[in-house]
Order: sequence, then structure tokens, then C-alpha cells
Amino acid sequence: MNEQRPQRIIIIGFGPVAASLIEGLLPAAASGQCEITVISAEDQLAYNRVLLAELAVGAAEFAHLSMADPQRLADAGIEVRLGVRATGIDRSRRRIHLDDNDFVSYDRIVFATGARAVVPTLNGLNFEPHTDASLPAGVFALRTVEDAHQLRKSIGLGQRILILGGGVLGIEAALAIARTGAQPVLVHHGPTPLGRVVDADGGALLTRNLREAGVEVIPGAKATGVQKDARGFTGLMTSTHGLIQADALLISTGVRARTELASGCGLPVGRGIKTDEFLCADTEGRIFALGDCAEVSGQPPVGLLAPGWAQAAFLSQLLLQLTSSAASEPLAAPDFSASDVLMLKGQGIELTAAGDISAGYWDDTDLQATVYADPARGRYLKIVTRQDAITGFLAMGLPQTSAELVLAYERGTALPEDRSSLLRLDDPATDQISAIPSDEDQLCRCSGATYGQVSHAVDAGCTTVAQVGESCRAGTGCGGCKSKIEELLSKAPSLA
Amino acid sequence: MTATHCPYCALQCGITLEPNLQGNSPEPVSLTGRDFETNGGALCRKGYSAAKLLDHPERLQAPLLRQADGSFAQISWEHALDLVAQKALNIRAESGADALAVFGSGSLTNEKAYQLGKFARLALGTSRIDYNGRFCMSSAAAGTNRAFGLDRGLPFPLADLDGAGMILMLGSNVADTMPPFVRHLAGARDNGGLIVVDPRRSATAKLCADNAGWHLQPTPATDLPLLLGLAHVLVTESLADTCYLAARTNGFDSLRSSLAGWWPERTAQVTGVPAEQIRHTARALAQAASEAKTGGKPVYILTGRGIEQHSNGTDTVTAAINLALLLGLPGTLAGGYGTITGQGNGQGGREHGQKCDQLPGYRKITDPEHRAHVARVWGVDPETIPGPGLPAVELLDALGTPTGPRMMMIHGANPVISAPDASRVIQALSRLDFLVVCDFFLSETAAQADLVLPVLQWAEEEGSMTNLEGRILRRRAALAAPENARNELWILSQLAQRLNAPGRFSPDAQEVFEELKLASAGGLADYSGVRWDDLDAGAAIYWPCPAGTEVRAERGIRNGTPRLFLDGFAHEDQHAVLVPVVFQPAPRKNNSSVSLVTGRLLEHYQSGAQTRRVPELAQAAPEPRLEIHPTTALAHQIAQGQKVVISNERGAVTARALLTVDARLDTVFLPFHYPTSGTANLLTEAKVDPHSRMPEFKHAHVSLSAVKEEQ
Repeated sequence: MNEQRPQRIIIIGFGPVAASLIEGLLPAAASGQCEITVISAEDQLAYNRVLLAELAVGAAEFAHLSMADPQRLADAGIEVRLGVRATGIDRSRRRIHLDDNDFVSYDRIVFATGARAVVPTLNGLNFEPHTDASLPAGVFALRTVEDAHQLRKSIGLGQRILILGGGVLGIEAALAIARTGAQPVLVHHGPTPLGRVVDADGGALLTRNLREAGVEVIPGAKATGVQKDARGFTGLMTSTHGLIQADALLISTGVRARTELASGCGLPVGRGIKTDEFLCADTEGRIFALGDCAEVSGQPPVGLLAPGWAQAAFLSQLLLQLTSSAASEPLAAPDFSASDVLMLKGQGIELTAAGDISAGYWDDTDLQATVYADPARGRYLKIVTRQDAITGFLAMGLPQTSAELVLAYERGTALPEDRSSLLRLDDPATDQISAIPSDEDQLCRCSGATYGQVSHAVDAGCTTVAQVGESCRAGTGCGGCKSKIEELLSKAPSLA
Repeated sequence: MTATHCPYCALQCGITLEPNLQGNSPEPVSLTGRDFETNGGALCRKGYSAAKLLDHPERLQAPLLRQADGSFAQISWEHALDLVAQKALNIRAESGADALAVFGSGSLTNEKAYQLGKFARLALGTSRIDYNGRFCMSSAAAGTNRAFGLDRGLPFPLADLDGAGMILMLGSNVADTMPPFVRHLAGARDNGGLIVVDPRRSATAKLCADNAGWHLQPTPATDLPLLLGLAHVLVTESLADTCYLAARTNGFDSLRSSLAGWWPERTAQVTGVPAEQIRHTARALAQAASEAKTGGKPVYILTGRGIEQHSNGTDTVTAAINLALLLGLPGTLAGGYGTITGQGNGQGGREHGQKCDQLPGYRKITDPEHRAHVARVWGVDPETIPGPGLPAVELLDALGTPTGPRMMMIHGANPVISAPDASRVIQALSRLDFLVVCDFFLSETAAQADLVLPVLQWAEEEGSMTNLEGRILRRRAALAAPENARNELWILSQLAQRLNAPGRFSPDAQEVFEELKLASAGGLADYSGVRWDDLDAGAAIYWPCPAGTEVRAERGIRNGTPRLFLDGFAHEDQHAVLVPVVFQPAPRKNNSSVSLVTGRLLEHYQSGAQTRRVPELAQAAPEPRLEIHPTTALAHQIAQGQKVVISNERGAVTARALLTVDARLDTVFLPFHYPTSGTANLLTEAKVDPHSRMPEFKHAHVSLSAVKEEQ
């Protein structure tokens, strides 16, 4: 495509993924290669949603979550329209209609509309899936900065706060709330929290860890409704545990892609806006989607930032190419598959999970499972491999091992045949206490002086480190071997 | 007795030379450590044995001219100089002045560096001069210039580190590269505050053992995200020094938004450093910095080539500086940021005009006022000074191409070993019509030359050096040079005459220094108040030292500017600039490759052209060894001591396996000091940093295969 005027790219939504996409397009915007407009229904520039729990408990300030610098965007000529909602897209006239009765024209659209919190079908809640629900007093979601501000008002010392949902966001919120002195209660389906990524043993350890951190855990709960009085929420009704009373309820039962704008203009939608592997959502190559609102080649969004950022990095390259007049090699199809690593965030519980760990160790497949459990020290590791490459793992209480496993998983590198060598990363063997050094062994790295040479100097009458240094140069470089020389000096027979 | 300095690294340890009477000793001078501030009398093995090179049997004895059969023949100096001048004139007449190129070095004295830059611009008339410091300090220089408006490796005296409460050392293995430096870490270690960041558990990382500190061991080429993660913790936990940021910096809002995405768990996934270690480190730094400002011990962040020699080296340095600024350290007595200069005159070498974009006094070759000043000192029309040339990697690449240089002069450098993608460098050199190399040994680069000119060694020449802290030192002659070796200042002055160059080209170091002072006056690196006599008297003088500065030679008195930025940074508004930087992950490579990092051994210096010729050093480290984790070795069926071929699309290197748990599972290490099939730089990529043009020395992907040795 070789168009003369700069192409107009409209980005709908301004979350962390859109911010990363814009970062990649910034030079092209600044040079006039393309014109970028960002439309966001929220009143804020992009911020890091991952830290909303910290914001809700007062452990972080909103300004610190900001992921975009308005000056930088303005300097690059990027137009940002906050608090404006796109209401419809006229694909034949290439216009986006806005809720302020204005419209913008486009050459390309990027959907970065993200996802909204799922409100479960409970008596007493409005669970309309395609709008942002209005929740009764004392019931919260945690998806936006507004949600975090609301929740913050309810968290007080001794307050009992239910968290419904055993996913990563629910767990992180529960742990953050525990640190404030409030009483979090994690209510979840199934036998363990994080049931989709942990197995029974890992789940048992996780539940123990949560309880030790001050989180009450109620597993296997089926919620049926919320109980309210005039002031708001008073308890969660369940078919399994009866009424669970509390002062507030945080709903953390997952998110759903915001797709209504896309489906409204005829784009195919499944669990997200359907795109091909190049993130393209239409047949003309004008409309793209990424992040939590996109179902990329049949894969529903996973609700993590890493895949969205990987997609943003790719899409910025692709858009640069599409809007450039210079000829270039077509981009290879990207692979976002290894970006599903989940690492529990900073609350004293070390848990990292990725891929699928459901394979059993006696299963007759090409998958191999390796398991290590050390409950006394809070450690658990399960690794599933195919031909030594990781297809899934769960690591708890093993920070170094899990950091290395993430790298190996994402790179697809082969693990050592002896998996137990990985465990040693968290207990690095202390330097082996060597046998009694021989005369030929080096004592001083800097000078190369050996034990024999230093002993000789001592035998010859040296009584101080300095004298030994003059005699054989040991100890005269970095000074690190002084203690060894002193030891030899102290062993010397006294002349007196 | 002659008080001078060690010939090797930028620590420039004080030494004393005493000539030995004929026959008394195997060496012409005896060399002992001298009580000087950087080394306190200590030396390393390289320093102790340096005198063995002075009358080494392989010392070049006369100019060598390549013969038709490929061999070298000795020729007279007269013949050699006439030939160089004739070649230069002919090529210039045929192809223009930019067909002539010069490659300098951070090992040259200030005077030689200065005169070489002047020679290129005035005598040859070429823009095409650059130097091996491009491979060394360029990223740190670009980063500090961008943040502070000025680049001096340590903007404080080295001895300030002695009292530190905490030191964060990133990508520097001083315990091997400059052992006496370790003495300056003692205070931080005693305080439990030495933090070392290195993909290897290096000798320096081991200094953190026994509660002296801790070691972060990221996967190679992820120093930048690690620094972003540390800075993220400072910002989100409100640990940054907001008063300092408001009073002394610009750009915090922009920086903050660039950090929000680097929470510790994400950083851990990219770097392999556990999230809790990242939090712990950031909090400890903040705690120590806050104590430092209320009467406690200062806190320093230091970087070395490990984080700088990457194609994102400038941004990584910037991230380290940003961390120091968030802590409120630079330009205060509570600590600061510094880069540890490597080569002996790596500091002076980057100030006096042998960089392609630079004129003496750290002036810009593109700035009309700067050009006018230097032109006045040189007595020429500013128009006659060429514009900016090509940085090292591009310069070497251009050799022998249709628009590239046809002739090159190399001084004090051995790019066949030390430049990236070594086989490409050898090809480039072979495309030249005429290659002149000035050296005292037949280095691997000299062996490629058409003409080799034998020059003086450190103990035979006078001059000045500027060490890693910006202190100017005297290098002194202790003995006479071999009969047929010549001072490079003399060589350049002879050639300038033959080329009818405008301006003065003195063969005398002090005379050149006097001119250097004038040329630097008013520049960032201002030497105009430095008197030769004061240097001779041992005065501690740190640049900038403008004319009229009172200087006292008494021990313990620091003159000039020992500590920079206390009153403000070198930008117009006196503020430091927080530059947001972005990490772009490298595309994933084939998954059977491992990461290669290159570096140095205690026994060898740079390309090894000197240290490989010292018997005790060569015996201690005779051949390249591949440091590899036993588990990784097992996976590749490599046994201890076995020969291994390390290869990638650029080349193949053979080295002997050294199994060590100090290595990461995904990373192997090769020293780069060795020639032929042991040259680690056969594997490194000439991909360069967009700001500094630093190549990617510290990370390459390689495959490993064990060599079945026949008995």
C-alpha cells in the first residue's frame, strides 16, 4: 500500500496493552508516518491494572501506576480522547461514532477494549453480561481505578471481607487485604484455589500458605445470592456453606472480553474478537484486536498481561510496515504461545505456574512428569516435559528454580536430564570445603603465590602479612587472602 | 628510582622502577608497588610482571615492510616514513582524504591521543578516525553525557568508595580485572553492603559471600529490565527521594510511566532473578541511601563493561543512572553513580579528539564554536577541519569498500582480537591497499600489516595519563628505548612534515601537553590549569581544572574538581535528566543454543598481546577455557578438560571445558584474550547500540560440541 497522506490509526481503549502498542508506534507518529488517536471510555491514561490490589489497600499511589506520559504523547502528536465511548463503527465509510455525537475517520482500527469483570448469576446482583454492572453497596469488582477507590473505603481494621473466586486476582487481593489488618475470606469453587493451574498437592500447600498468611479459605463453595440490608451487603448465601456473613464482598470470578462494539459492526466474536494469527479481525486488513478483548487464532484471552504485550510488540511492527511506503519483507507469523506464565505477586507466597501440569507420572504418554514435595519447608515442584522441553510446571517455595524454569519454558530449552539438579539452584552448594591444601595449591589469586611459597616465607622468618607479601607477594593484590596468610602465620612455631 | 604507573588498566597503580645493573637480574628494571591512592602499594600479577616485556626477545627492532612473498623485511626509518607519506599522498590524490583512516586507542597517553586526532584531521585531512574505546567506554559515555551533560568515569575520587555503606556493582569483575580495586570495597563488605550483578558467580560476586552482601545472577542481556524492576520498586513503594528529584532532575513523570510495567514478578520472568531478591535489593538501597543522607555511609552504583557492551548498552547505563537519581545520590556527598573505566588511559583517550565526532577538551566536531576554538589553537581555518567520521565498527566495515578507506594507521590497538565478529575484521583489513600498524610486538593485527613501525613501551616514554577517577598522572621514562624503536609523537611529527601539514607537531610530550591544555581550555574536559610541574610533584589534580586553578602538591590535598556536580549538573539548567528507556526483548532463537558471555581473566590484559608474552602469566592461563555448568556440560556430553567447539553463524572457537557451578545453566563464558581459533570475538556480533555504536560483545547465541580427541 502506498498512500501519500499519513494513515490514521484509531486505538480504541487505553489500557497497559494499548500503552505498549503506542510506545512502539511513537517514533512513527512523531515522524508523521501515521496519525494516532486513542479513544478511551476511562478518564485516566493507561495504568497498570496488575497493581490495583495494592492501590485498594493503600500500598501504592495511583500516580505510580501510570503507564503513559501525556507530555510524551503530545510531543509525538498523538491525540488522546479520554472519557469518550465509541458507540458504533461504520465500516463502509470508515468512521467511528462517539458518544459525544462526534465521529472520527480511520484507516486502521485497533481494538484494545480489554475485558470487564464477570458478575456471577447471584440473587440480588444484576449480571447483565454486556454492560458494566452497577453493584449494590458493599459489593465490588476490582478492574478499574474507580473500583479500587471504592473498595479502599470498605477495608478497615477487623472488617471481614469476602473474596469470591479463587483465581490469581482474588488470591492477590486476599493477601493484600490480610496485610491491612482486615479479615479476608477467600470463597471459591472446587477443592483448591487456582484450580486451573495447580494440582491437588500444590493446592493443599497453597491453601495452607494462604491460611498462614491470615486468609480464611472456604473451598468448594457454591454461591447462590447476596444478602443485603438497607446499608448494603451483609452476607453471601451458598448452597454448600449456608450464609457466610461479612462486611463486604469482592467479586473476582474472572473477566469477559469487551466485544460488543466489534460484534455491533459485524466482526466475528467468540470468547473475544476473533482474529487471525496476525491479530487481524477483518478481511481487508484494516481492523485489529489484541490483549484481553481478542481471541487470536482460536485461543481465548488468558487474562495475563504478558501475551498482550507480546502482541503489542508484534502489532506495532506490523502497523509500522503497513503504514510505511518503503517495501519490506512480510513479517513471520508470531508465536504467543509461551506467554501464559503466572507468578503470584509479592505477598510472601512464592508460586509460579505455566502450561498444563495435569499429566500423571504413570500416564502412558510422551509426557513425563517429575514431582518433588517438601511440605515441611513449603516446597513443591511439578514439571511436565515432552522430550525434555517443559509443557507445564508448578513451583512453590522455590524462587530461583522457578525463575529459571520460566526462562526454559519460554525459550523451549531442554531441561537437564537429572531434574533434581534444578532444585539445587535454590540451595547453591556452599563452596566445597577443600581437603587440606597442598603446597602447589594457589593461596593468593592476584599474585599466584602458592601455599608452599607462603609456608616457605613463614618458615624463613616472616611474622606479618606485610613481610610475607614482601617475600612472595602473597596478599599484596586485592588483599582477599589475608586471613589465610594470618592462619599460616599463627600456626608457625613461636621462635621464643 | 622512577615513580610512574602500571602500563595496564585504568587503576594506574603507582609503581617504582629501579634500573638493574647489567646482568644482575633477568629484567632491565625492578618494579615494586608504590603507595599511591588507587592501589595503596598493592599490585596484581599483571602489574608485577610488566617489566618482563621491556627487553622481551620478541620486541620489534626495526620497521618491517611486507615483501612480495608475504614475509617481512627490516627497513630504515627514513624509508618507512617516506613510504607512509607517499602512500597517503597518492591515495589521497586518487580517492580523497577520507580514503585514509586512523584507528587509535585508550592505551595511548593523553599527548599521543591528542596528536593522533590532530594528525588525522590536519595532516591526513580525513574525518575517518576512531578508536578502540568505542568498544570500551562509549555506552557509559553516551549515557552519562545524556543524563549529566558530562562524562567522567568516576565523578568522585576512587577512595570515596572506601567509606561506602553500600555499593551496587553491575557487570564488573574487578577482582580479576583490577584486583587492587577490591581494597576499596572493604568498607561496603564490612557493612554487608556489596551487591554484585553478574550472570556468573565471578571472583567479584564471591566477595559477597559470608554476609558481605549478595549476588544477583540474571540471564545475559537482561540487565536493563533488572534495573527497571529495581526502579519500579523504588517508585511504587514510594522509596524514591522526591525532594531531590524535584530540586535536581527533570523528567520524573515520564520516567515513572516507563517503569510501571516492571513489577518484580514480571522482571523475574525476564531476568531469572527472583522477585523477592529484586524487592529486597531495592529496599536495601533505599534504606542505605536514606541513612547516607542523614549522616550515614554513602551509597554508590557502579557499572562495567558487562552491562555496557550491548546493543542496548547506553539505555542500560541510563537505567543504572536513573536508579541512582531515584535514590537521590549523584552530585551529593551521599554517594553517586560511576562507570569503571577499563583501559589504562580509557578516560583521557576519550577526551582529546580521537573519537570520530569529537575535538579536544571533549568538544563536539559538529559545533561551530567548538571548531573555531580548536582551529584557533591549531592555527588553521575552521573550514579545514573535517566533519564527523565513522564510529569504529562502521569504520572497520567500510575498509576497502568503494567509498571506504584504502589505507589505515593503527596505534595501540589489536582489533583482530578485540573487535566483534573477528573474521569480518580480518577480511576488512585485507581489503586495504596499505595498513600501517604501530606496536612494540607483532600483534595479530600487526601481522596483517603492510608496514609495522616499532614504538616505545610505557617505561621508555614521557607523558600523561588520566585514570578512572579523572585524575591526571605522569608516566615517566625509566630507561632508554631500544635503538630502533621510536616515540609515536616523533613518528607523527615526521609524517606531518612529509605531508606538509599545517600546525605544529612536536615530538616532545611536554610541548604537546602544553598545546593540549590550550585546546581543552573552556571545554568540558578542561586541562588548562594543569601544570606539568605540579604533575611531576605528584599533585592530585582532577579535571576540569581551568587555567588559574590553585594547585598544591601536598599529599592529601585534592585539586581541580575531585567531585563533580555538587553544585549542579553540566546541563544548562544544572539539572540531571531522567531519560525513560524501553527494553526490547530479543527475538527468540533456536532453543538448543546457549548464551555466550565474553570477558577477561585475571592473568591477561585486553587482546593479550602483552600478557601472553609474559611467561608466568601465559603459563597460568595458556589457552582459552570455556566456563560451563556441570549440568549443561553433561547435557552436551562435555567432560572436564575436554576440548569444545563453540560455534554460531559467524564462526567457531575451540576452548577447553572448565566445569563450574559458578556458571548459569543457560550460559557459558569465554575470555577474549586469545588468538586464532581461540578468539572469542569470532562469535560476537557487530550489531551496535544506536546511541554509542557499541557492539554486542557480551551476548551471543552459540552451539557447543565436544571434540573427540585422538590418543
